Amino acid sequence: MSSVPASAFLALALILFCIGLYGALTKRNTVIVLISIELMLNAVNINLVTFSKYGLSPSIDGQIFALFAMAVAAAEAAVGLAILMALYRNKKTVHIDEMNEMKH
Amino acid sequence: MVNLTKLYAVGGQITRIVHEWCLTPIDTHLKRGFDKMENAWLIPLFPLLSFLLLLLIGKRLKEASAYVGILMTLASLVFSILVLLERFSEPTYLYRFDWLTIGEMHLTAGFEVNQLNALMLFIVSLVSFLVHTYSKGYMHGDERFHVFYAYLGLFTFAMLGLVISPNILQTYIFWELVGLGSFLLIGFYYYKEEAKAAAKKAFIMTRIGDVGLLIGMILLFWQTNSFEYSEIFKAVEAGAISNTMITLTAILIFIGAIGKSGQFPLHTWLPDAMEGPTPVSALIHAATMVAAGVYLVAALFPLFLASKTALMTVAVIGGFTAIFAASIGLVQTDIKRVLAYSTVSQLGYMMLALGSAGYVAGVFHLMTHAFFKALLFLAAGSVIHAVHTQNIEEMGGLWKKLKFTAPLFLIGTLAISGVPGLSGFFSKDEILVAAWEGGHPVLFLLALIAAFMTAFYMFRLFFMVFTGENRGKQTHVHESPSTMTLPMLLLGILAVVAGYVNTPWFGSFLGDWLTDGNPVLGHGHIEGPAWIMAAATIVSLAGILLAYLIYGKRSIAPDWLSGKGDMLHTVLYNKYYIDEFYQMTVVAFVTGFSYLLRFIDVFIVEGIIKGVTGIIQGLGKLGSKMQTGQVQTYGAVAFVGLAVLVVIYALTGGYLR
Amino acid sequence: MNLHAVLSLLVFSPLVGIIVLAILPKSQEIAIKAVGFLATLPPLALSLAVYAHYLAGKSLSDFSVSVPWIQFRGLQPDEPAYAVNYELAISGFQLLLVVLTSVVSTLAALGACRFIKKEWKGYFMLFLLLVTGMLGLFTAENMVLFFIFFEVTLIPTFFLIGKWGYFEKEKAAFSFLIYNGFGSAVLLIVIMILLAKTGTTNIVMLKEIIADPSVGLSADFKLGLFIALLIAFGVKLPIFPLHSWMLRVHVQAPPSVVMIHSGILLKIGAYGLIRFGMGIFPDQFKQLAVLLAILGVINLLYGAFLAFIQTDFKMVLAYSSISHMGIVLMGLAAMNEAGIQGAIFQVVSHGLISALLFFLVGVLYERTETSLIGNLGGLAKGMPLTAGFLLAAAMASLGLPGMSGFVSEFMAFLGLFKVEPWIAAVGSIGIIMTAVYLLRAVLGMTFGKAFRDFDGVLDLRGLELVPVLVLMLLIVLIGVYPSVLSSPLQATLETIMLGLGG
Repeated sequence: MSSVPASAFLALALILFCIGLYGALTKRNTVIVLISIELMLNAVNINLVTFSKYGLSPSIDGQIFALFAMAVAAAEAAVGLAILMALYRNKKTVHIDEMNEMKH
Repeated sequence: MVNLTKLYAVGGQITRIVHEWCLTPIDTHLKRGFDKMENAWLIPLFPLLSFLLLLLIGKRLKEASAYVGILMTLASLVFSILVLLERFSEPTYLYRFDWLTIGEMHLTAGFEVNQLNALMLFIVSLVSFLVHTYSKGYMHGDERFHVFYAYLGLFTFAMLGLVISPNILQTYIFWELVGLGSFLLIGFYYYKEEAKAAAKKAFIMTRIGDVGLLIGMILLFWQTNSFEYSEIFKAVEAGAISNTMITLTAILIFIGAIGKSGQFPLHTWLPDAMEGPTPVSALIHAATMVAAGVYLVAALFPLFLASKTALMTVAVIGGFTAIFAASIGLVQTDIKRVLAYSTVSQLGYMMLALGSAGYVAGVFHLMTHAFFKALLFLAAGSVIHAVHTQNIEEMGGLWKKLKFTAPLFLIGTLAISGVPGLSGFFSKDEILVAAWEGGHPVLFLLALIAAFMTAFYMFRLFFMVFTGENRGKQTHVHESPSTMTLPMLLLGILAVVAGYVNTPWFGSFLGDWLTDGNPVLGHGHIEGPAWIMAAATIVSLAGILLAYLIYGKRSIAPDWLSGKGDMLHTVLYNKYYIDEFYQMTVVAFVTGFSYLLRFIDVFIVEGIIKGVTGIIQGLGKLGSKMQTGQVQTYGAVAFVGLAVLVVIYALTGGYLR
Repeated sequence: MNLHAVLSLLVFSPLVGIIVLAILPKSQEIAIKAVGFLATLPPLALSLAVYAHYLAGKSLSDFSVSVPWIQFRGLQPDEPAYAVNYELAISGFQLLLVVLTSVVSTLAALGACRFIKKEWKGYFMLFLLLVTGMLGLFTAENMVLFFIFFEVTLIPTFFLIGKWGYFEKEKAAFSFLIYNGFGSAVLLIVIMILLAKTGTTNIVMLKEIIADPSVGLSADFKLGLFIALLIAFGVKLPIFPLHSWMLRVHVQAPPSVVMIHSGILLKIGAYGLIRFGMGIFPDQFKQLAVLLAILGVINLLYGAFLAFIQTDFKMVLAYSSISHMGIVLMGLAAMNEAGIQGAIFQVVSHGLISALLFFLVGVLYERTETSLIGNLGGLAKGMPLTAGFLLAAAMASLGLPGMSGFVSEFMAFLGLFKVEPWIAAVGSIGIIMTAVYLLRAVLGMTFGKAFRDFDGVLDLRGLELVPVLVLMLLIVLIGVYPSVLSSPLQATLETIMLGLGG
């Protein structure tokens, strides 16, 4: 396990984050956007875990924090999907570019 | 505290005077002759009391208001006579107290009784008293009778206050109040558009002069650190003020006199002021307010004497006004306007005298003119009262009907024309001598021509009103009541005899007294060649003769030189178009400038503000447009922002320094 | 009696009225009006008592009060502690303004009983809050407290204009709020900078600190602060070109509010310039004196010429206020006793005169429902008293001797002629123009032929005469016996002159 360097974990996190960001900013389907956000959160979790293992003062804090973030992300996904369901019932669409009610 | 002590000190001084006066046993008062001069400050207060009283209860008194006014001015008159008599034997009395404290400077107020002041007190209170009496008959039946008397009281108060002021600041204060009084009286018939315009014009024209006076006075103050006449004269004598400064301040102060005394070019308000009731014209435009300008120059005479240029200015303006106004008077058809122009012209005479260093001549003519001009105005008022018109072309043949007014009017006319033996003759002669001896041959000639014109137009007036056929519609002509004729009688007597106080034949009593103790003012009488007196006589008689031939005997047609429709007549009749000239230049400029400023206010100032609000609104609109509702755009923008921050962080190595 | 409590009592006593009004039901018109009026009496009585205390020769510093209020330490251990105390005090100059405020407030409350036709409860509550603000700002001894009271005056005025004004009231109210909000923002910046740099906002202490060269504030920095102050108070005064808000307020606000606004609120500008500008930054004031004199003359002439062509009498008076405030600036710019005293006199005098004029305008508008000069005329016939007082007030305003306007104008010009004779000479055209525009307007309304029949129109009567007579008497009193104002001022003047170094 120790042969895998920290930079590899960080690179993975970076790639995951970029994919998530790209998806969140460009995809029209709201479900995909939500999933992309999950990707970004997970990238952050990988970072947390990495530094908790390879950081200056390794400890369990980062892993606990990652668990915490997952829990919050799960809650957030539930709320987000619920809102999405409500919106879909009203607008009959899940396309994010048609959900511009809050402009001006 | 210091301030408080000062406050108390002033109040205490006033109370002490009143207190002492009241507490002194009556026989001491009698022994001391009532402390006449020390109590001269009471003289202006009587009319003030009359004003306040009539303001409060005049409405209830109705025509009985007249008695309040008459009684109060009578008190002033009696006091003035006593003060004048006492001043003959005793030295000048001066009393001052601190009026206003500005840091280290203490501006005072108070009163002074010197020769000129005592004389003016007498003249003003006498004419005012007579006018008060006269008005009782003249204003009879007017629904604002009490208001008229209240205004008269205010005016008299201001004028009396003016002539006992010991410093130029106080003079200025009363000077403006006099303006207020005259404004109210001119605009007494407020419902007439002409009266409204005339009152406004009088106030504004004199205010233009007043600003000159104010500036001159302030400049003098910073030169001498005092408003007191005596201090100013001391500084002038000691040479503490530069010549340019003396000339400048003297001319600025003279501008004030120009405004008040209706001298060219600020004369146009005076004839228009005839819109006021006739007694007002007698009081304001004969004896008092218009004479204030002459009085001011006389009171500051040492200052003027110190500057040749200033004296010359006074003389030239005076001489020019004398002939300028007289020429307009030749063709006017309104009885009061003729008298108004004659007043302007006579005031020019007085200025000419003062400008030629003839202090006594100027003051002397001021006195005689006050009597005969007041007489003429009151008599004219009596005529107007009888025929209800002011147009002399609608009068005629009134000699038989106004048995009392007509001879008195004749006396006034003779006096103003300078017929030997009457008061006007002596004073006018003094002025001519002063002008000649003062080295102004041109001005002397102008004055002589003006004297001829005066005699001519005054007798033109007389003949047109009192001789020939009645051209008017008024059939029921009656003589005025005795309240109106008695004052005229008294003035008539004075118009005849007043000249004898200062004649080349019986001694120059007035002149000697006026200049007593003040050598700088010149001698009591200026010796001049005898031909001047002869010339003056010839000129005035010639004027009378010409008037008689044209309007009395009618052997010469009135239009032999220039008749109606001719250019000369038109120009004179329209007063050289001075009013129109002002209307087209000054008024047009002020209005135009105001509109220009309004343009700036509306378009530039408001425009800039609109611009600023516009920019802010535009920014807001732009911001709201960027809010598309597209969450992904927001995310992109936020991420770009983050990226930019990271780049900056990387480039600067952290903290922004 | 504890004298230290007097000023706090004076400032906060109108709040009692607000509490009582809050309890009263909306429909009790007479009770509300009575409470609103009566609540202005305690400050009036107290301010007169303070004046009497002064007249009795006792020191005004007896009233000073200072209680610790807000304190905090700086970030670095060597930084001084920052302290903002609750400090009220009164000097001769402030005393005059406090008396002026309480007198005009009482009379404006009386006027409001007449002119305000709806929702008296809200009106009087806001009005009393405004009175508290004004009294507080004239007695505040440090700038933070001053600023708080300053803001307290802004908000009620905004609502008073916006709710009870005439047709374009909302626009006028917003105009008022935006301009004055801008001014107070600038003021706040100055105050915060001063607090941060010196650790205090007490005016007396600031004066010493700023004058002390060892405190590291560069001359340019101080000049910048002074210019910011000038802008902040220039909006209030108002100085050209920051004046347009004030025209709208004068025309649109109800007469009883304009009495306060023109009578007192405008004077905050002059007060601030004297107290803070001249008091704290005397050297910078000197540097800009010529500019101020020129601005003063511009104000004077600009207002006068524009007043000359207005068709609405309220506009004439609004421009006339601009013009008269120019005289304040001119007097201050003279930087000598005569000029400064003239400026302060003008502040008080204009406060009284404009309150009187606007009261009369209110009366006129109530009767004839117009204030257009062209629609009036010949009023002297139907309303002789109103016309007479209008004329008298106009005379006072144009500086007729014997009334307060003259003494002020005279001293301001006296002062300026000493230092800047040419600028003063140009300014003297304003004296003529003042007469021209006031006579044009007033004679146009009162003299001449009646434009229409004013037979059924009532003259001044009953309680309406009280404000008119009181104001007129004060105007004449100051004009005839100016020592009533000048003697309390001497100590203040000495301090200012000391600061100016001459």
